[in-house]
Amino acid sequence: MAEHGGSISKNLTTEEFLRFRDHINQQSGIYLEESKIDSLRISLVTRCTRFGLTSLDEYFELLSIDESELRELVNLLTVNETSFFRYSAQFDVLRDKVIPEILEQKTEGERSFRVWSAGCSTGEEPYTIAMTLIDSGIESMGYKLEVMGTDVSTSALERAEKGVYAPRSLLNVPSNVVDRFFEPTPEGHRITQEVRSLVEFKYHNLIKEPYPVSLIGSWDVIFCRNVTIYFRMESTRRVVENLFQSLNPGGYLFIGHSEALTGITDKFEALEFDGIFLYRKPRKKVAQSFAELVKSRLRERRSRALASKDGEGEAKDSKAARKAPQHGPAESDSPSEPVKPDEVPALLDRAREALAGGRPIEALEAVERVLAVNKDSAEAYLFAAYVHADNGDFEAALAEAERALSIDPLSAAARYSLGLIHLRTDRPEEATADFKRTIYTDADFVLAYLNLGNLYRARGRFADACREYEDALRALYRNPEGEWSVFLGGFKPDLLAKVCERSLLECRKKIESA
Amino acid sequence: MSNARILAVDDSPTVLEMIKAILVSGGYEVITAVDGAEALETARNEMPDLILLDVMLPKLDGYRVCRLLKFDQKYKSIPIIMLTAKSEEQAIATGIRTGADQYLTKPVEPEKLLAAVAEELNKVQG
Ligand SMILES: C[S@@+](CC[C@H](N)C(=O)[O-])C[C@H]1O[C@@H](n2cnc3c(N)ncnc32)[C@H](O)[C@@H]1O
Repeated sequence: MAEHGGSISKNLTTEEFLRFRDHINQQSGIYLEESKIDSLRISLVTRCTRFGLTSLDEYFELLSIDESELRELVNLLTVNETSFFRYSAQFDVLRDKVIPEILEQKTEGERSFRVWSAGCSTGEEPYTIAMTLIDSGIESMGYKLEVMGTDVSTSALERAEKGVYAPRSLLNVPSNVVDRFFEPTPEGHRITQEVRSLVEFKYHNLIKEPYPVSLIGSWDVIFCRNVTIYFRMESTRRVVENLFQSLNPGGYLFIGHSEALTGITDKFEALEFDGIFLYRKPRKKVAQSFAELVKSRLRERRSRALASKDGEGEAKDSKAARKAPQHGPAESDSPSEPVKPDEVPALLDRAREALAGGRPIEALEAVERVLAVNKDSAEAYLFAAYVHADNGDFEAALAEAERALSIDPLSAAARYSLGLIHLRTDRPEEATADFKRTIYTDADFVLAYLNLGNLYRARGRFADACREYEDALRALYRNPEGEWSVFLGGFKPDLLAKVCERSLLECRKKIESA
Repeated sequence: MSNARILAVDDSPTVLEMIKAILVSGGYEVITAVDGAEALETARNEMPDLILLDVMLPKLDGYRVCRLLKFDQKYKSIPIIMLTAKSEEQAIATGIRTGADQYLTKPVEPEKLLAAVAEELNKVQG
């Protein structure tokens, strides 16, 4: 059994390739380039494995008698199908109507124009977009152009990055465009540096939520063409919703010319320019930027918490309590089961991991779910505080950290976080007080001493600073791995010791020289 | 290139202290910024010899800061080393380009950090 995959997965011979190519060409009209030999091989292996076939001959036979199998194979083969200036009229509309309209809406400070090609395949689409942007002349108006191409196919992305194309791919490209934006190389036509420098590629799976912060906001235009055609309706809905969230107000979504958003969403305004259908995100809507998204999530969360509080009186026993959150306004959007109390630790772990991995929305979602069953989880509020602090919203971070403290006044981590937030918002007095209180509740909280030392040092109180650094070192020897170590960002405590020692030495020098 | 000036950017003051300690032990001068916007401003005003940039930053994420600087004729020659979370490792392995000169995964070993900094500074010099 184990061998059959191996016998097919070695390189296709030219003979085999030609045999399949001609058959597919005759039966479906699709012509496979030499360069497609690898994807043909992969597709063949996939299908052979599916049926447990041990030779390509067997599969060829199957293909000859079974039309639906031919369709399956062709589907596999064309998933990365794309071309330069595909539906070129869409690019004309982009240049002549969409770009000018969006620029008109931009304020003085907004000096970038950003386009995302979601499902960019081998790069033809994002490069075409970049050429169109250059053509529109907006760079000379002082706008920074950014085009992002994302895809799940790493082999497609590799080719996109390379940006070298066979002559055949350029058949439909006007010769003046070829002259301007391509340069001949022995390997093929390479996209010029001018165009390449605007385009960046990134691996991203449109189905996987939540989207990374780097994608979730402030796109002026998103292309997502011929990507969701094989998705289930529900997946397409989620993808389109995420793209909607990611667009600027007034931004445009381009979809394939045979696709439509009917039945998927009615959030976009459907417009028609010269026979081309376009979708625009309404201009004045809330919750666009990431910061606002976070805010709206929290608002939702709070109203949910309130709603379940209302139900509390009648819900004394645990069975009834579990039902209570379902009365909340949230039931529509969350397919998730009500959380059982014993799931809380796992959810908190998830929030912690999401935070560490830089996925704040996911962290917030876990937090929301925890708070749906346990409104008194100090840890959950603390995580929410971290998300806000990461996002630069220190007021909100402050509120969440204080909430955590009101539940658990002895939480050193919460107290310390409060200190950090005060530090970041230029309130050294408050920060000092918080770091001192942190030490009252946990005398081994090394980082609180360190920060106190830094604060004294900044005010020229070197003797006080020395005392704090010494205390930090002592605490570190007593307990080298306390609760505080999560704030180290993965650095080892011995490095922290060095930081304290160095600071101590510098302060002592100051005292001596004075 | 000792005495080079390095801009270190991280939103956690503790982590920033740690990075600073490492760099100072390598004989570098260090300036710091705690969010993306400040990083951009500091880079433009101070023209550091190298930038150590965390990815997750308030206001403007590290990738955008990097791109904005690398776009700009005036600043594109400043080497940028990005500090990324473990979870981004794979994206980088698949050859994703953000314009940074080097990537290091957090947490960084001090020796590795110093080696990367020395390497980038050498490239500029040579
Ligand atoms: C037919 S191509 C379309 C290319 C280009 N947008 C165009 O219209 O010419 C579809 C691309 O979508 C990508 N794709 C499929 N599922 C995806 C997903 N879940 N997330 C991101 N890309 C996906 C495929 O890898 C393929 O490269």
